[in-house]
Amino acid sequence: MSHTDIPWYRTPKSSLLTRRLALAAAILLIWYAALAMAQNASQSTSSTTPSSIRATHLLGFEGAPSNASGTLSIQGDSLQFQKNGTPAVQVKIASVQDIFVGEQSRQVGGTAMTLGKAAAPFGGGRVVSLFAHKNYDTLSLEYVDANGALHGSIFELDKGQAEAFRNELAAKGAHVSNSDQQAKQSNAEVRNENK
Amino acid sequence: MKTSKGISLFGFAAVIMMMGIAAKCSTTTDNSSGAQWSVQVDKVDPGDVDLAASFQIAIYENLVDELGKTKRFKQVFRDGDRNASAVSDLLILKTAVQKYAPGSETRRAVTTFSGATKLTVRSQLVTRDGQVILERTVDGNVRFMGGNLRATHNLARNVAKGITQSSLQVPSQSVPAQSGQRSAASTKLVRSQSGAS
Repeated sequence: MSHTDIPWYRTPKSSLLTRRLALAAAILLIWYAALAMAQNASQSTSSTTPSSIRATHLLGFEGAPSNASGTLSIQGDSLQFQKNGTPAVQVKIASVQDIFVGEQSRQVGGTAMTLGKAAAPFGGGRVVSLFAHKNYDTLSLEYVDANGALHGSIFELDKGQAEAFRNELAAKGAHVSNSDQQAKQSNAEVRNENK
Repeated sequence: MKTSKGISLFGFAAVIMMMGIAAKCSTTTDNSSGAQWSVQVDKVDPGDVDLAASFQIAIYENLVDELGKTKRFKQVFRDGDRNASAVSDLLILKTAVQKYAPGSETRRAVTTFSGATKLTVRSQLVTRDGQVILERTVDGNVRFMGGNLRATHNLARNVAKGITQSSLQVPSQSVPAQSGQRSAASTKLVRSQSGAS
């Protein structure tokens, strides 16, 4: 009768213990990852150094192309937008007549994602659409040029950044009015998106 | 044989060229009356509608952009532009929001039948003395693809299209002399409704 030695870690009790340890380690890993992600998210939303932020220019800022990503910054007494690799365009902060902060939601992924969703069988694209949206802040400015002509421009910022940037502009001399009304408007937009 | 083919090709090309020139001439004639006007785009009046500030700004900017593209006007001025005060033949474009449904891009993407963003405005072209030259009700909607702000672009395009398709009075007939007297022709009112979307 042959007898083979079973290593200690192959015994039923040890195997169960190993599995439990692995499970505990996995849970810990996930927990740490979630914690780290939450910290990153809170840092990105609560960062209060808005003098230079990433923004997408949607329309209206004189000399800047529409739907261009770049950096929106305050340089001395001017508000400046610079698209990557192109000369900056700027307006005097004192010429800003009003600033509005809003909130919007949009689908992410662009044309490629849209085509992919359309091609997905059994309505899978619609399920993806349900989750593939992102909330962002809008910063809308009204300013006048040297001839007194009114201009309006809209920027898209990461969520939570527009308010701080508006406050900084106001501190630098930009005119801000209708704060209650704009808060109401932005809330209305968000409510509608959440419906 | 080859020569006759060449002649017929040459003749065909000449006919095409003449047709092109004729079309260009007729277009120029159509726009000649409107080209004597300049236009100033006023800030959008939200009225009683709870319209987001970003939408008001987007409508205004898109209107300035689209009216410039039509080539119907000598110059397109923005609200408050001091240069406009020196222009004699000036029309003012007034835009008042009548209806607004914010919609939702996500809902459009998920359901495809709901969540449309809808805008309806009343646009008026008026002279300095308040005489209405053109009045239209125009829609701008986003039903399927695109963000909510795209409605403002569609709206501005429809307003510009409506102005392009309408016949404006000749400035000398409608604009009173500097004395402020109103001519008989200036009482003519062009009023129409447009359901373009």
